[in-house]
Amino acid sequence: MHFTTKDIIAELIRNTEMSTRTVCAFKALSPAQLNFRKTDSSWSVLECIEHLNLYGDFYLPEIELKMIAQRDVPFSPKFKSGVLGNYFANLMKGKDGKITKMNSPKDKVPDPSTLSTTTLDRFLKQQELLVSLLYQAESMNLTKVKTAISLSKWINLRLGDTLRFYVNHIERHVAQAKRNLES
Amino acid sequence: MSENLDLISRLIVSLGDEIESQVYAKGEFVIREGEVERNFYVIESGAVRVFYLTEHEEQVVRFGYQGSVIASLSSFFNESPSEFYIDAIRKTKLLVVPKSYLLEYVSQCATNLHDYNRLLEVLITQQIDREIDLLISSPTERLKRVLRRSPHLFQQIPLKYIASYLRMTPETLSRIRNS
Repeated sequence: MHFTTKDIIAELIRNTEMSTRTVCAFKALSPAQLNFRKTDSSWSVLECIEHLNLYGDFYLPEIELKMIAQRDVPFSPKFKSGVLGNYFANLMKGKDGKITKMNSPKDKVPDPSTLSTTTLDRFLKQQELLVSLLYQAESMNLTKVKTAISLSKWINLRLGDTLRFYVNHIERHVAQAKRNLES
Repeated sequence: MSENLDLISRLIVSLGDEIESQVYAKGEFVIREGEVERNFYVIESGAVRVFYLTEHEEQVVRFGYQGSVIASLSSFFNESPSEFYIDAIRKTKLLVVPKSYLLEYVSQCATNLHDYNRLLEVLITQQIDREIDLLISSPTERLKRVLRRSPHLFQQIPLKYIASYLRMTPETLSRIRNS
């Protein structure tokens, strides 16, 4: 898939800001609502958000450091998505409005004892950092700059794909958190 | 980080009934980031931690236990939004001294002003000690320095918070303690 760097970054910033607004609104919820699980096996709002925080702990420093290390790669106004990167990014989206259920890796399953109201504040700080990284990425080569991923040590993704995957993953779980509040 | 200062005991006596105490349950916030600190607290019982929230963790910067004075200091001085959170590590009773009370008391006479200056000197010295802590690379030395200042730290504060204060993992801290 081909994108222009400008368009894809603008879209990712837009989606990130939407997720931020949704989670900001969660701050008005009571502790009971934040910890409510619709079914025994589903995640509460705080669990969904903490899951995202755990991903952020890996991806935000990884993206930032790789962007610094590869800042001499010449800029390109075009971004060509890789086969694998495109697959991962779309996997998060689901097809025709239907989301495929997935099991999260064990190290990304939130520990209930660490959940608190600072979980939301921590997420919002991560979102601020993400937006600032997205603005920096606008002047980078999204195809040639590479980052590692959390799932496998042996795979590197194109920066553009990592950002798409990461932003889509946030959108996915913010939507999951929101479903807890629907009756 | 007990100051044991004359100012505190005299202030408490002189304000008498005007000072209110407030009980905080474990985990309850005394102040959150973004709020303005209007009070200064003396810990009657229990313990609190002051922490800074980053994208990745709650970084403990200070503890308070029985007899300590605590506040989100720069916010208290400047009436600016607090950069820090303060929460109760266990059930904690705080004497709440509003800033206006404190300032009025300090301006009453030279002794009170002198006491207040002394309190500020102690707080600045503690901040400098803390700054040096963070410059020391050896985890063992970092722990030794803190224990010299607060020998009863481990009786008062859970290990995971002490580890965060010392900027090491709980595992590293246990290993150092046991060696």
